[in-house]
Amino acid sequence: MIYKTEIRGPLINGDKSLAQISRDIIAPIDAKTPVWWFAAMAVSLGMLGFGLYCIYLTLAYGIGGWGLNNTIGWGWAIVNFVWWIGIGHAGTAFSIFLLILRQQWRTAINRAAEAMTVVAVMCAGLFPLLHMGRPWLFFYIFPYPNTRGPLWVNFNSPLFWDFVAITAYILISASFWYFGMVPDFATIRDTAKSKIKKAIYGFFAFGWTGSSKEWLRYEGLSFVLGGIAAVLVVSVHSIVSTDFAVSVIPGWHTTIFPPYFVIGAIFSGFAMVLTLVTVMRGLYRMHDYVTDSHIDAVCRVLIFISLIMGTAYMTEIFMAWYSGSIYEFSIIFNSRMFGDFAFQFWAMFIANAVVPQLFWFKAVRKRIWIVFIISIIINIGMWFERFNIVITSLSRDYLPANWADYSPSWIEVGIFIGTLGLFISGVLLFFRFIPMIAISEVKSVAKFNKPRVSASNSSHHE
Amino acid sequence: MNKKYFTGVFSDEDSLVAAFGKLKEKGLKPDEVYTPYPVHEILDGMGNKTRISHAAFFFGLFSTIGLIGFMYYVSVIDWPLHFGGKPFNAFPSFIVVNIVATILVITILTLFTFSVRAKIFPGKEPEIFHPQATDDKFVMLFSSEFSKEKEDMIVQIVKEHGAIEK
Repeated sequence: MIYKTEIRGPLINGDKSLAQISRDIIAPIDAKTPVWWFAAMAVSLGMLGFGLYCIYLTLAYGIGGWGLNNTIGWGWAIVNFVWWIGIGHAGTAFSIFLLILRQQWRTAINRAAEAMTVVAVMCAGLFPLLHMGRPWLFFYIFPYPNTRGPLWVNFNSPLFWDFVAITAYILISASFWYFGMVPDFATIRDTAKSKIKKAIYGFFAFGWTGSSKEWLRYEGLSFVLGGIAAVLVVSVHSIVSTDFAVSVIPGWHTTIFPPYFVIGAIFSGFAMVLTLVTVMRGLYRMHDYVTDSHIDAVCRVLIFISLIMGTAYMTEIFMAWYSGSIYEFSIIFNSRMFGDFAFQFWAMFIANAVVPQLFWFKAVRKRIWIVFIISIIINIGMWFERFNIVITSLSRDYLPANWADYSPSWIEVGIFIGTLGLFISGVLLFFRFIPMIAISEVKSVAKFNKPRVSASNSSHHE
Repeated sequence: MNKKYFTGVFSDEDSLVAAFGKLKEKGLKPDEVYTPYPVHEILDGMGNKTRISHAAFFFGLFSTIGLIGFMYYVSVIDWPLHFGGKPFNAFPSFIVVNIVATILVITILTLFTFSVRAKIFPGKEPEIFHPQATDDKFVMLFSSEFSKEKEDMIVQIVKEHGAIEK
């Protein structure tokens, strides 16, 4: 393709041989586990443990332990749910959209992004489950012939759509991720010295040998999964947005919600990808694979998405005034922009629409620690966006008599901390036991822009 | 595999493709080619076709019909309930569930089809002809019976670009 060779330059630094690529990427799996890994694991397991204790309290005493009230029935749980599922969107979005656009630089990052997706969606799924109040009856939401009537589910309900979407999303993103790893597990199997490692990775490699028949079908599979997962990414977060948009609450009942949510999800996910790969690159010295130009490319994508986010915010404000609906106006102007929730609104606006504009400057993009900080700021900003949407609209609806305020109880905060712990420990396990860069995919792009041995052979390969 | 075989081993994609092209010109073809990553000249040249996308299309078609039928049965025939004044057959709502559930069905069945057709499944013992084929070597496998003359020709072509290992 045009883009990959002439403009972008080499995708991997250091003129590496194929064997060296395998060795470099597998190195962290073979190496002794570093001390910082155990320290980080201990901290994240501690967070997870605290979260599990809070979940225990929720199960034992019910969601009365949360800070919810009659007016604000969706608190931090739904804020965190939407936040996590948004982060979870990037992995698949990253792989799929860059695959469709034939962006070869995705190869160094997609594995980490997909791993992040799987863990983030697991974190997300926890919240609606706990929010059910009686999570042990969660199977009521499966449409199966039962002895309760048979009382089927309501196919008109966005909450049911959500259930289907999240179930599908976690299964599909996990299998997409896993099948991407099969050739790499085979590489570990064939290069490992230890018998135990050979046996374990051999089991997970599913007998992969790299024959042309396998690759042919594998490419066919990637094509099918890539094509339909692109639809899935867009539809899942659109469905999450309908949880809000299908209601009649001011600030939720808007047609901009589905694209706004999808873009927001990709935005927060790309920011999390950036956080993750800068950490990964620093800790495991993967600078030759995740090069400065990779970071640069993600930053540029973020500028663009940030502009769309800014446009979406402005559209909401404009429509609140232009629609002539006093309720919409009141929510956006009197509550969000200049009211009780002004801090959260402006934190969201500045973090998502203003700060990422710093990426216009090359000086910012090439300083990795600034990039890292901005990526964290975006993550926080996106959390505030969800807070704005969920809490503000509920707290100030049509009847002033119903107005209420909300602050989370420590149990809700604890569950959120628990999911952060789950996420970090999941990512640490990924770093330790799974090749964090797609070895076979990186090998396929390693040859671009390298001085060729046989200059006469000028044919370009896909 | 107890059959007699020999392999042509190449250390980069270009030599593999060059040797493969020359073999094809002489009307010869390796029985299988093992590569660390997909090489499109080889995938095309080996002459195999995959119909996995056709299979996926039909999985999608049948699951769409099945799901719409199921939701119609549930909401209209088996236990009709009024939800907010909507008709029993609230078709536009069904579309949402249908899209996502169809994608799920396609994925699961296509993965299963892939597993069956490519014979890739948990715990399978791999048939490894060259231990570096998943690492940095591009390997052609010749396991059919060739006449002496043809075998010499293959050996000669392979040696121009790589090495023969018996």
